[in-house]
Amino acid sequence: MIRSRTKVGKQLLNVLAGVALVYLFVPIIFIVAFSFNKPRGKFNLIWQEFTWDNWLKPFSDPGLTDAFTRSLEIAAISTLIATFLGSLMAIALARYSFKGHNGFNFFLVLPLTAPEIVLGSSLATLFLGQNFVDFGLVTIVIAHVMFQVSFVALTVRARIRGFDWTLEHAAQDLGASPMRTFWKITFPLILPGILAASLLAFALSIDDFIITFFNSGSEQTFPIYIYGASRVEISPQINVLASIVLFASVAILAIGNFSGKRKGSGRKQRKLARA
Amino acid sequence: MNRKPLIVRSGMTRRQFLARSGALGAAGLSLPALLAACGGGGGDAYDVFFENWPLYIDPTEGETIGTIDRFAEATGLTMKYTEAYNDNNEYFAKIQPVLGAGKTIDPDIIAPTSWMAGRLINLGWTEKLPLADIPNVANLDDGFKNPTWDPTGEYSLPWQAGMAGIAYNSDAAGREIKSVADLFDPAFKGKIGMLSEMRDTIGLILMGEGIDPSTISTFEEAAPAFEKLEKAKADGQIRAFTGNDYTDDLLAGNFAACIGWSGDLFQLETESEAVKFVIPEEGGTRWADVMVIPKGAKNIANAAAWMNFVYDPEQAAQLTTYNMYVSPVKGVREIIAASDPDLAENPLVFPDEATSSRLRAFAQLSDEEEAKFDEAFSAITGA
Amino acid sequence: MSLVEAPAQRSRLGSSADRVGLAALLIATACLVAIGGKWVSGPLTSVVVLVLLAVIVGVIVLAWRGGTEARRLLAPYGLLKPGMLWLGLFFLAPLWSLLRISLSTKESRFDINYNFSWAFENYQTAFTEFGGQFSRAFLYAGIATVLTILIGYPLAYVIAFRGGKYKNVLLGLVVVPFFTSYLIRTIAWSTILSDEGVVVSFVKGLGLVPVLEALQIMDNGRLLNTPAAVIGGLTYNFLPFMLLPIYVSLEKIDIGLVNAANDLYSTNSAAFRKVVFPLSMPGVFAGTLLTFIPAAGDFVNAQFLGNPNTTMIGNSIQDQFLRQNNYPVASAMAAVLMVSIAALVLLYTRLFGTEDLA
Repeated sequence: MIRSRTKVGKQLLNVLAGVALVYLFVPIIFIVAFSFNKPRGKFNLIWQEFTWDNWLKPFSDPGLTDAFTRSLEIAAISTLIATFLGSLMAIALARYSFKGHNGFNFFLVLPLTAPEIVLGSSLATLFLGQNFVDFGLVTIVIAHVMFQVSFVALTVRARIRGFDWTLEHAAQDLGASPMRTFWKITFPLILPGILAASLLAFALSIDDFIITFFNSGSEQTFPIYIYGASRVEISPQINVLASIVLFASVAILAIGNFSGKRKGSGRKQRKLARA
Repeated sequence: MNRKPLIVRSGMTRRQFLARSGALGAAGLSLPALLAACGGGGGDAYDVFFENWPLYIDPTEGETIGTIDRFAEATGLTMKYTEAYNDNNEYFAKIQPVLGAGKTIDPDIIAPTSWMAGRLINLGWTEKLPLADIPNVANLDDGFKNPTWDPTGEYSLPWQAGMAGIAYNSDAAGREIKSVADLFDPAFKGKIGMLSEMRDTIGLILMGEGIDPSTISTFEEAAPAFEKLEKAKADGQIRAFTGNDYTDDLLAGNFAACIGWSGDLFQLETESEAVKFVIPEEGGTRWADVMVIPKGAKNIANAAAWMNFVYDPEQAAQLTTYNMYVSPVKGVREIIAASDPDLAENPLVFPDEATSSRLRAFAQLSDEEEAKFDEAFSAITGA
Repeated sequence: MSLVEAPAQRSRLGSSADRVGLAALLIATACLVAIGGKWVSGPLTSVVVLVLLAVIVGVIVLAWRGGTEARRLLAPYGLLKPGMLWLGLFFLAPLWSLLRISLSTKESRFDINYNFSWAFENYQTAFTEFGGQFSRAFLYAGIATVLTILIGYPLAYVIAFRGGKYKNVLLGLVVVPFFTSYLIRTIAWSTILSDEGVVVSFVKGLGLVPVLEALQIMDNGRLLNTPAAVIGGLTYNFLPFMLLPIYVSLEKIDIGLVNAANDLYSTNSAAFRKVVFPLSMPGVFAGTLLTFIPAAGDFVNAQFLGNPNTTMIGNSIQDQFLRQNNYPVASAMAAVLMVSIAALVLLYTRLFGTEDLA
């Protein structure tokens, strides 16, 4: 009796999970499908007929292409800066114990506990009424780095927590200079963590709307362009580019999965070594 | 051989700068570089920069050459044209910290709605037009001379004008809509759209209440319209306050009826026969988007050349056949009559006496009163 | 200074280098906050800039002259410094300037300068005129958070315990939808839920309209532009922020422990209640914060999926800031939002907290 009930429960749980998974994909299927639509008017919102045209001309909407390129540039630059700043912080927090360690740990979490609208509007008040920088590309990059740093630092720190720092001492005992030790021993070991963090930071930057909206001036990023377009014209190219981003991320994820497997085995080795 | 489009893409200069200096960024991720290469090409330079509302100019499509390209052909001047003007208040909020600090914004011409142009002119944030270099200003329709927003007519020239009335989807509404009162019919609860442009929404409701929006000067005079709107919102009558995107909700049947702009009807007609536009029985409102030159603009002479070009009736007529709005240029109707007699007779594009007499423009408000209007309106839109 | 004394002095300096490093880092950050937050003005600004430079140069000199011990002690502060300075100038200083503007007034409507004047009436306006938006923001975000747990937990559980070799693939599937743009996803929902759309037709076909209306999910035969649509959008968009932390904490649980519990308690549900669920609490806790906080400040869902009676505080801040140029009231609302969320987080941490947020 009990067994049959739990069996039903087990199945029910699987069904619930399946429904949740389908729910996650409803708008995605819709977005990809409508990249093949041939809308009659300005809005690509009512299904008309199938066409390959949009995929053959993904860049035929110049404003959209510009905004998309701009977003990639901003993401590249801000990710580079944030990865550098954040990784240094992560190394400091994971590698050393020092006065104020917990305080800095806590401080890093703070930007994540403020809603985006607070971060965006407060940063905008900083830029208002000063003469050093106008709203635009620079302010967007500053804003993105600001929210990326914490993510990078926390992700990298989590990834290198289990790292065996005595290796560094060993290398130095064997006569390697600190610089050489870092580049030959430390860096290769923490690199996967840094890469994972920078991918996350890149994705956050590409998709950020709220914070960017407050600090963009007249600069158009991909999300800001879409926001503007949603009020006048939603071209199928928007769906095409969104689908491209989607498929590219799936590819990156797949690659990451492979390297993840390697990492997994590495972790196992370390565990074995420790035992 | 295809014509090479002469429109300069926005932000090219900075992008190229980035492509070079930001090579370090692209080195790690080749996708941006790749895309920059795809979207690239074209020069950095432009002779004049016009930032306008979206979908407001005829593009070059196949055999038909758009106004910007015709301008380049006629004058040798390259225009950078962007469509980032989405909302009067939003655009003002963007330029205020710049112009207010005595700095200049990039565009040489912008086309705010008349009341916003009036505000910019009053604040001293616009340049006087070099009217001597715009001989075609003689073609300005009499109805637009010495307007309330620019009494001396020295600072602005209308780009396009039009009217606000009621647009409805006869399938979703299930009947003909004729009056402003229909918008408040409980049968359409949650199916009514209003515009986030205060003057269009309040103006039309005022007409419905029998109050002439062109003569009001204080908030108290307009209060009945605000009360009516407030109640309708609280009752759930209003589904959304939108900008241009009302057309989307109307087509999708989410709106049974809404306040809309005349020119959009022609676009919508091609998509659905159910969508219709009427000037309500109580009358509709008139508006104009006007070209002004922001203070400190770099290419004033070229901006004048552009204004002169689009005030040539031949050019203005081409624009009208695309936009279907009311042209502020004399002689357009005669030119269109030759090619498209039906269009020349359409009162929504060329309003006759009978139509004009049913239209009112919203009064130009003092800053102090306008603040009250804006505050009350934004309290209702709930944002 | 004699040659003999020098090493002693060096080691003294060296041993207290961590205190110096910490102080230097804090002072430098404070300097940036003071400058960025317009705490100081005029000639005082130059003084603060000089202090900032002096502190940085001082630490570099100390590291250079202080020997290995000092360098080792200074290293973490040196590593933290660039990031801390960035966050000081672009995270802390803005919060300060936000508070400042929230207490300021301007002389005329289109003036771009604000005078700090302890203008608490901005806060009064924020509460009296936008109280509804505040309560809706917290209500909608709260419901959405509960829904993300209800939807996310079973999925996370199945992936963690029954995923087998497909674990990573399933996890990937969960994340993939969120690589399309946030705005596009939300706009897609507005089309899916529209009056003539698939979902409404489906519900109508099943004759479920009266049921959904009784549950206040539908309003007058429509799904779009209702509170339910806004909450649904929030739930969808923030689901991974709930699901992933839950998954991480579930995955850490030793399956042997679950089996042992199953033997002990004989039913799965008891084993779940007494063993698995308590062990997954850190994930639920982190997920709740990661979902509730951004949801409470969101304005995109309310804008695309809501109606004029469902606007949230994010919409008001956005409108006051970016359309009405009313920075003081917008800042006051943002400050209230920030403080109330901080208070909620603290309270929540006290009630259910685990020691490590990150």
